[in-house]
Amino acid sequence: MSFDLNRVIRGRVWKFGDSIETDAINPYYRYPDAEELKKHTMEAYRPEFPGEVKPGDILVAGRNFGCGSSRPGLVLREVGIVAIIAESVSRLFLRNNIARAMPIFMAPGITGIVRDGETLEIDYPQGIVCNPATGTSVALRKFPPLIEQVFQCGGLPEFARQRYLAETRRF
Amino acid sequence: MGQTMAEKLLSRHNLANAPAKAGDVVEARIDGAMCHYHASEPMHQLAVQMGFKDGLPRVWDPDRIFVLVDHHQPALSQALADENAVIRKAVARLGIKCFHDAEPGIAHQMMLDYGLVRPGELVVGNDSHTIGYGALNAGSTGITRADMFYVLLFGELWFQVPKSIKVILSGRQPDYPIAKDIILYLAGQYGDDFAQNMSIEYSGSLVPQLGIDSRMCLSTHGVEVGAKFAMFPGDEKTRAFLERCSEKPYEPLIPDPDAEYEKEIALNVDDMPFVVAKPHQFGNVAPVDEVAGTRINQAQIGSCANGRFEDIEIAARMLRGRKVAKGVRFIISPASQQVYLQCLKAGLIETLIEAGAQVVTPGCGVCQPRVGFLSDGEVCITATTRNFKGRKGSLNAEIYLGGPLTVAAAAVAGAIVNPREVFHEL
Repeated sequence: MSFDLNRVIRGRVWKFGDSIETDAINPYYRYPDAEELKKHTMEAYRPEFPGEVKPGDILVAGRNFGCGSSRPGLVLREVGIVAIIAESVSRLFLRNNIARAMPIFMAPGITGIVRDGETLEIDYPQGIVCNPATGTSVALRKFPPLIEQVFQCGGLPEFARQRYLAETRRF
Repeated sequence: MGQTMAEKLLSRHNLANAPAKAGDVVEARIDGAMCHYHASEPMHQLAVQMGFKDGLPRVWDPDRIFVLVDHHQPALSQALADENAVIRKAVARLGIKCFHDAEPGIAHQMMLDYGLVRPGELVVGNDSHTIGYGALNAGSTGITRADMFYVLLFGELWFQVPKSIKVILSGRQPDYPIAKDIILYLAGQYGDDFAQNMSIEYSGSLVPQLGIDSRMCLSTHGVEVGAKFAMFPGDEKTRAFLERCSEKPYEPLIPDPDAEYEKEIALNVDDMPFVVAKPHQFGNVAPVDEVAGTRINQAQIGSCANGRFEDIEIAARMLRGRKVAKGVRFIISPASQQVYLQCLKAGLIETLIEAGAQVVTPGCGVCQPRVGFLSDGEVCITATTRNFKGRKGSLNAEIYLGGPLTVAAAAVAGAIVNPREVFHEL
């Protein structure tokens, strides 16, 4: 699934705290079935989340989001989350989201400008995240060009496929 | 300006053959790729999704890919047996030579047992605790399954060169392991992300006193404080360890004296109390005395952080002539078959079983909801990697992390306790 970094994302916010681990995001040890997993993502912190999350919602978190194991957070996309924005993101979770082109942004101060249930507007080209209801905003961190390229391509596997085909095409 | 270990590592492996400094994004040459039970995803499922209907079309170098089917060995379910079968088939088709699928154990320990990592190498693995090989002065780190798909095809991967943090350890190594206490203490003092995206360089007068097992514990837990790399300098102990398992030459990473560090933190272990992480986060740390008296149902020693000889040896030494408290399940899981054998030959397993402990198959299960689930309201103290809510089953169970000595003391007392109050010989 490709993701256009130039598109402005607007959605309702689900707010979480600091150091949310991948065990809570993706509790696949307890729920190995993909459909079942969707019914339990994030329940360790907010039991109502899996039942009430809607397509187009945005997840906001504190520092160190996605700490712990290397499990991907694709289940969040599957339940409808269109973007994750946090004070800071754990290194491996960030890598996972880049590699699978799941929109993820780091914006120090983000938890101070938005409350749970409010709407947030993420404008990556302008490098800004804004709460339209209050008019407050914070800056988001831009990615290096190589990472932007991976996002535009639709993720690292797709990037790899294109490179492989280009290198092995012999006429 | 001089270079840190991480800057040296990524300069040497930089495809652009140029010096790399903290902040740069480089594409780097990979020396070794460790795949565990997740191997079926990059080798098969992801490849099929990308249009390669028979799976991954090639690997860049079959001699540099190590597949160790850990976590679920022997297969714990039909689904996992089927997944292992997919891996077996892919490995044969791709000509990968290093393949361990009939031996239980934790991939990270087996990477060391079989001499698959050396100082100065850039090694990646599709598991967060791959960072542990930094104990041998390797630049190793966990990557994602999608990153691994790229690595398997090309033997290259992008990295942002990390800033470095110097952790200076001083004091005297007592005659029991304290590595777990050290990393928990640091996480408690500086936060569970104090090394986020950074490279930890361990140094100081304690380092030469630390054995490889303790270094593995500290490097493995680098990821619990957010690090990309967690490296020890190479020394006589590193050399002696490698002499037993690897014949290949290597070039250690030695930081320049004028290298630039983001920060330095110092700890004298002589002043450090025994500590535990309380539920449900690694950084929720308190001196053991603060939670003394908390009754436990289960105690555990194992995992890629604490399933090694020194962890099991201290438990056996302390339990000789003592008994596990009635009703407490004390579970020991050696990190690999080699570690298990070493413990058997030293008589440790006999002592532990006589004391009332149970020894389970080497592997990752003890650190996950796989072996030894907890029920609602139960309390477990464990020398494993993580204590997240639900990590051992019930969301309403409580998990404390501690060093193997603290865990052994709790197993004997039936409650969390300062080890000195139970083991008067300390």
